[in-house]
Amino acid sequence: MKILGLLGSFRKNGNSDILAKEALMGAEEAGAEVELLRLTDHRIEPCQGFGLCLFRKEGCHIKDDVKFIWSKIGEADGILLSGPCYFLEATAVIKQLIDRAWVLAHRGTFRGKYASVMITYGTKGWTSLAMLQPNIFFGILGFKVIHREAVHTQGLGEVVHENQSLQKARRIGLELARAVENQDPTYRSTPGLCPICQDWNIRVLKDRKNVECPTCGVRGRLTVRDGVIDVEFDQRALGEYRFDPEVCYNHFTYHIKPSRDYFMRTKDERKVMVRRYKNYLNPASSIEPKAEE
Amino acid sequence: MAKYIVHLRYYPGDPLEEIRRTDLDRIAGAHGVEVSFEKMDHRDMVDGKLREETLDWPLEEISQEIITIRSEDEPRFRRAVEAIYDRYRSPRTPYGFWGSSPEGARLAKTVADETGGGW
Repeated sequence: MKILGLLGSFRKNGNSDILAKEALMGAEEAGAEVELLRLTDHRIEPCQGFGLCLFRKEGCHIKDDVKFIWSKIGEADGILLSGPCYFLEATAVIKQLIDRAWVLAHRGTFRGKYASVMITYGTKGWTSLAMLQPNIFFGILGFKVIHREAVHTQGLGEVVHENQSLQKARRIGLELARAVENQDPTYRSTPGLCPICQDWNIRVLKDRKNVECPTCGVRGRLTVRDGVIDVEFDQRALGEYRFDPEVCYNHFTYHIKPSRDYFMRTKDERKVMVRRYKNYLNPASSIEPKAEE
Repeated sequence: MAKYIVHLRYYPGDPLEEIRRTDLDRIAGAHGVEVSFEKMDHRDMVDGKLREETLDWPLEEISQEIITIRSEDEPRFRRAVEAIYDRYRSPRTPYGFWGSSPEGARLAKTVADETGGGW
């Protein structure tokens, strides 16, 4: 059994780094083989949106380290994602990887593996979207997430003063390894409002009648009983959440693939219409940044 | 030919509930517009799952349900579109209005933007 730590933080010996290592020690204690991969040590180019990974069998044409990262994730039975919360969200390197995960989402390559998430943050009230990227990442990959924990700590390495947080990290790693071993997807952290991604964010639809989990796309109705706000999710919608394998299949089959036919049919008309934009302001965007003197 | 014609193309999993002829007739009657319905299903059962190859296939010929609304009257047309979106949601894709009259497509997209289209 192998647990891979994925670090979404640039800072070596930072809080996310320490917590990931503590968790991996816990996983080792449970008998796992462990490894740590810092995403910022690798070249992750932005997705170029060609759709070759979808329209052609050979996959993504970009030559960087993403295939290596996927191979590492492929070798692992469980992933422990650790990173900081910057400006309400997880770090950009995670989003960069999400954008490149299209091909895996389409093919369902990693479905059924396990994951746990730890996000460090410095200021209470500035974390409202911290689980968004981890939830999308593991959602599209089809992982079973068993922990989502936010850890309150700030300066470089300060988490070592927080014994409770270190113990929590160790327990997370240990439980992740045991979940893999026993193939037990029971959710271990405090449940959220959405029964799928366990997040607390709810979007009010424009009809002002329905709400949905913005990540999972599951609809429901807001209720208030004895002053307690809750959501009654539509049972059918729960079975058809955004990252359900059949929903993903339909998305790629009916919302993405036919776009090529539409694109080709409208090509000639578009050719004339885009002329107006082709040379407008383009020179500015092609200026190479000057090296600092 | 009616001034406002829209084809609302729903693909498997898109509509909020099953599209029924009787419900469409009721909407047509309530808003004084013409509503027709066509359903195409080209999916095959493969290993217990419904599958279809849609790449390089004409977008009118893949599995879909098409609700067509026709009217000469803009307010009636708009209200009928709103009623359809309220029940089933709006089509999801840019090609979900393919084949509509320019005026029909414009209004149907405007209603989707204004109301959120149920998404």
